[in-house]
Amino acid sequence: MTKGMVADIQRASVHDGPGIRTTVFLKGCPLHCAWCHNPECIEFGPQTMYYPEKCIGCGLCHQGCFSGAKVVCGKEMSVEDVLRQVLLDRDYYGEEGGVTISGGEPFAQKAFLNDLIDACKAEEIHCAVETSMIVYDEEILKKLDLVMADLKIWDNDLHRKYTGVENTKIKEHIERLNQLGIPMIVRTPVIPEIDQQIDQISSFLSGLKNVKQYELLPYHPLGEAKREALRLAAESFTIPSAEYMREMEKYVFIR
Amino acid sequence: MYSYAERLQAMRETKIRHTLEKRKQNGHTDLDDFGTVPISEGYCVEPWYNSTNGSFYGYDGMCENFCRVIDAHEPYIDKNEMLCGRWRDMLVNYRGDLHYMPDWLKNNLKNLEFIKNGATNQWSKRWDEQRFPYDHLKPLQAKYNITTGIDGDAHFACDYRIGFELGFGGFLKKIEAYRAVNPDKKAFYDAEERCVKAIIAFIQRHIDRLTLLIEEEPDEAVRQNLLTMKQTCENVRYNPPATFREVCQWTAFFNCASRIYTRDGAGFQLDGLLYPYYEKDVRDGVLDDETAKFLIANLLLIDPHYYQISGVDENDQDMTNHLSYLILEAADSINIACNLTVRVHENCDREFQKKAVYYLLKNKNGWPRFANDRALAEGYMRNGIDKKTARERIAVGCNWMCVPGKEYPMNDLVKINVAKVLEEALKDLRVEMEGGEPCSTERLFALYEKHLICAVQVTADGINHHLDHAWEVTPELIMNLMMHNTLERGEDITQCAELYTVGIDGAGLAVVADSFGALQARIEQEGLLTWEEMFEALDNDFADERTRLIMNTAPRYCQGGTVSDAWAKRMTESWVRIVKAQPMPEGRQLIPGWFSWSRTIEYGSKVGATPNGRRAGEPISHGANPNPHFRTDGAPTAQANGIASVQCGYGNTAPLQLEFDPKLAADEKGVETILTLIESHFKQGGTLININVLDGEKLLAANENPDLYPDLVVRVTGFTAYFASLSPKFRQLVVDRFLYGV
Repeated sequence: MTKGMVADIQRASVHDGPGIRTTVFLKGCPLHCAWCHNPECIEFGPQTMYYPEKCIGCGLCHQGCFSGAKVVCGKEMSVEDVLRQVLLDRDYYGEEGGVTISGGEPFAQKAFLNDLIDACKAEEIHCAVETSMIVYDEEILKKLDLVMADLKIWDNDLHRKYTGVENTKIKEHIERLNQLGIPMIVRTPVIPEIDQQIDQISSFLSGLKNVKQYELLPYHPLGEAKREALRLAAESFTIPSAEYMREMEKYVFIR
Repeated sequence: MYSYAERLQAMRETKIRHTLEKRKQNGHTDLDDFGTVPISEGYCVEPWYNSTNGSFYGYDGMCENFCRVIDAHEPYIDKNEMLCGRWRDMLVNYRGDLHYMPDWLKNNLKNLEFIKNGATNQWSKRWDEQRFPYDHLKPLQAKYNITTGIDGDAHFACDYRIGFELGFGGFLKKIEAYRAVNPDKKAFYDAEERCVKAIIAFIQRHIDRLTLLIEEEPDEAVRQNLLTMKQTCENVRYNPPATFREVCQWTAFFNCASRIYTRDGAGFQLDGLLYPYYEKDVRDGVLDDETAKFLIANLLLIDPHYYQISGVDENDQDMTNHLSYLILEAADSINIACNLTVRVHENCDREFQKKAVYYLLKNKNGWPRFANDRALAEGYMRNGIDKKTARERIAVGCNWMCVPGKEYPMNDLVKINVAKVLEEALKDLRVEMEGGEPCSTERLFALYEKHLICAVQVTADGINHHLDHAWEVTPELIMNLMMHNTLERGEDITQCAELYTVGIDGAGLAVVADSFGALQARIEQEGLLTWEEMFEALDNDFADERTRLIMNTAPRYCQGGTVSDAWAKRMTESWVRIVKAQPMPEGRQLIPGWFSWSRTIEYGSKVGATPNGRRAGEPISHGANPNPHFRTDGAPTAQANGIASVQCGYGNTAPLQLEFDPKLAADEKGVETILTLIESHFKQGGTLININVLDGEKLLAANENPDLYPDLVVRVTGFTAYFASLSPKFRQLVVDRFLYGV
C-alpha cells in the first residue's frame, strides 16, 4: 500500500481547476519560491506550526495540543485514506469537477501521486495537478485530464534567484507536455517588484496549442502567517494594485 | 412621467427610508421585514376587549378588532407606483402583551391608556388560558423547552384561485349563500361578512384618496397613472380581477388585510397563477413585458410574501414559463428583501435555474432560494398523500410547505429543543453512574430516546389542544376566505382542513450529534477523559479550557464520515421513528423536520453546558446546520453532504443554510458551480437551500454602523431581513455564521 505525506485536504475548492474540486496538498517541493503561499508544503517531513496567540498555557503540550496553538502539518496517509476523503464529495463534482493534487510539488512524491491518480481514475474522477513542471514524468502526465503549471519568471537568472532552480527545464517540460496533447493551464504569480517578463512568457505560451489558458494570479500575503508559524524568515512582497493587474491583463488568454 | 427604471429607483429609496424610520419607531426586530410602512402621524386604535384577562378572542373579538385596525389604516399611495396599499399594524399588538407590543405603540400615550388595564408582562395572551387552560402540559413543555404551537396562527396557505375567481364581492355572495345552508353558524358568517366589508372599505378609501390626488395633480403623465390606479381599485373592489394589473392589485389588498389580521405571509405559485392574466393581456395588446415586470416588482415591494416559481406539475412536466423569467427580472429590478423560492426538478428548464443562480450571485441579497420538487413531493406522498396533491404543496414559509387551501400544517410553529432533551438524559445517566451503573453513549442514547418519546407525546398533546380550540381563540377569518370547506361549512380552517399533516421540528441537531460524538471519541475511544470528569466539566461550565477544547475539537457532524456524522444520522432515524409512531386522533399526522428558525439564541439560553464543549447559555446550532468552525475550510460540500444525510423524508425540510464569500463571481463558472452544488444536494435528497452570498468587508462595516447600510439584506434563516433592523445580538450571530461558514 503506497503511502504519501499529505499536508492538507481541502474540499469544495473552486479556485484549483474547473468545477467543484477536492484539493490534496502533498508535502515537499524542490523549489523554494520566496513568495510561496504554502511554505508548510516545502519540507518533506511533518512540521509543527506554532500559533502562540491560540495557546491557553495549560502546560500539557506533551499530552497533545487541542487549542490549535501547535498544529502538526504532514500526515502519512495511504492512497485509500486519501481516496476516502476524495470520494466524500463525489456527488458534487458534476461533469467538470474532481480532484486536484497540489503541494508542494506533487511529482516530488511520484509513486504516491501515480497510485492516487490510478485510484481516482478507477473511480472515474477527473484528475488535475498543480505543478512547477520541474519534474517531467510522461507516464504519470498521460493519465491526467488537466495540468495546471507555473511559469513564474522568464529570465533564468532571476528564476534561480527567487525560486532556487533554473527555469530552462521547466520551459522544456512545458513544451514537451504540449506535444502530449494534455490540456494545460499555465499561471504566473504576479509580483510587481520582480521583472518577470510576463510579455515574454505570454508570447512563449501562445505558441503552444495545448495551453488552453494563461492566467495571472496576484501575489497575496497569506503565506506570511504560515512562515511565522514555521519560524521561517518572512520575505514580504507588494500586493499588485488593481490597476497593475488590469495593465497585465493584456497578456492573459483563454482558448 | 419618469422611466420605469427611475421609478423603481425612487421606490427603492423610499423603501430604504422606511426601513430606517421603522427602526426608529419599532426598535430592533429580529424578523422578516413584512413590507410594512412606518406608522403615520396620529395613528391610533382603541381595541375592544371581550376577555377579562385583557385580550380578545373568538369570532366577535377577532372580527371587531380587525375592523378597528384596518379602519385606522390610512390609504397608501405612491405616485411612482402602479399598485397601492400597505399595512402598518396588526391585531396581536393589542392583545395586552407587552412582549409583543412594538415600541411605537408603547410610546403612544393615548393607545397605552386604552390598553393599560390589560397590559401585562405575561408572555402570551394570544391564547385564552382562562377558557382553555393547559397547565397540565406546561411542566413537561418547559422541561424540554418545547415551542408548543398552542396559539400559533397563519402557518398555512390560501388557495388564491378561490379569491381570483370570486373577488371580494364574490366572497360576500358566497357567505350569503352558505349562511342560508348553515343557519346555526351565524356568528361565523357575521364575522366573515364584516371582515370582507372592512377590506372593501379599505379599498374604497384608496379610491377616495386617489380621487383627491387626481384633482390636485398638475403633471399629466402622473395624473394618468393615478387615474389607472383608481380604475384598477374600482374594478377589484367587488369584482374578481380580470387583468394582470388587477390581479396584482387584488393580491396586494388581500395580503395587506391578511397581514393585519395574523401576519400571514404565505403566497402562491406566482408564475402559474398569474400566467393566464399575463397571456390574455399580452394577446389583447394591453400589456408588454416591461410593464408586467414593473407590476411584479411593485407587488414584491408591497409585501415580501413567500412566492414560488418554476417546478413541475403532477405529470412531471416543466411549469417554467415566460412569466417565470419576468419574475426573476422584476425581482432583480427592485432588488429588495424577497422571499422567492425556485422549485428545482431535473425536468425543469436548466437555463432558468442558471438565471436564478445568476441573480443570487449578482445581487447578494439572499434571493432566490431553492426547493427540491422531487424529494419534497415524494416525501409528502409517504404520508399517504396522492401525487397531484403532493405536487401542489409549495414553499410558503421559512422552512415549510403547504398544500394551498387544503392543509393546516402548523409548520414552523412546533419545535422541540433536542439539546434540552439531551440535558435531561445526561441528568439520568449521572444518577445511574452515582448508583454504580456503568456509563456509555449507548446507554445515554437510550435515555435520550426515552425523554424524546416523552417530549413528542406532550408536544402532540399541545398540538391537539390547539386544534381543538383554536377556532374559539383565533379563528382565521381572513385566510378562511380562500380555503376549501370553510365558508361551505361555516367552520374555521382549524376545524375543517382536508389535511392535518402537522410539522414538528427538532432544534439543536448539531449540538446533540457533536456531544454524542465527543463522548464516544474522547471518553470511550481515546480515554482522554472519564465520565466523572466530563460531568464535573459540565457542572462548572468548562472552567478548565483544556477540557472544553478536548471535547470541542472531537470529530464533528458534517466533517464527513466522523462519529458525529454517524450520530446525526442515528438521531434522525430515531427522531423520524418516534415522531411517526406518535398516535394522533381524527386522521391527524405528525411530520418530522429539523429546523430551529431564528430561535438559536433563545433555545441556547435554556440549555446548560453540553458535552461538545458548548458553554451554558450559548446559542444552539442553526436548523440542520453543523456547529460553527466545523471545518477549517468551511467546505459547503461537506455541509451539503451532512445535511443530505439527515433529511427526515416525509415532505418537511431540513434546510441547507449556506454562507458564501463573494469571490465566486456571477459569471459562467460561478453560476455553474453553485447550480452543480444545488443539483447535487437535491440528488442526494436535500430539500431546501438558503444561500447567503455576502461581502465580508461590507458585513463587518455594517455591523459597526448599520445605518450606513440600510439596503443590506441578509438571509437570516428561511426569511431575508434588512441587516440594519436586526438587534446587535442577532447581527453578531449572522456575522459569526458568515465568518466561520466560508
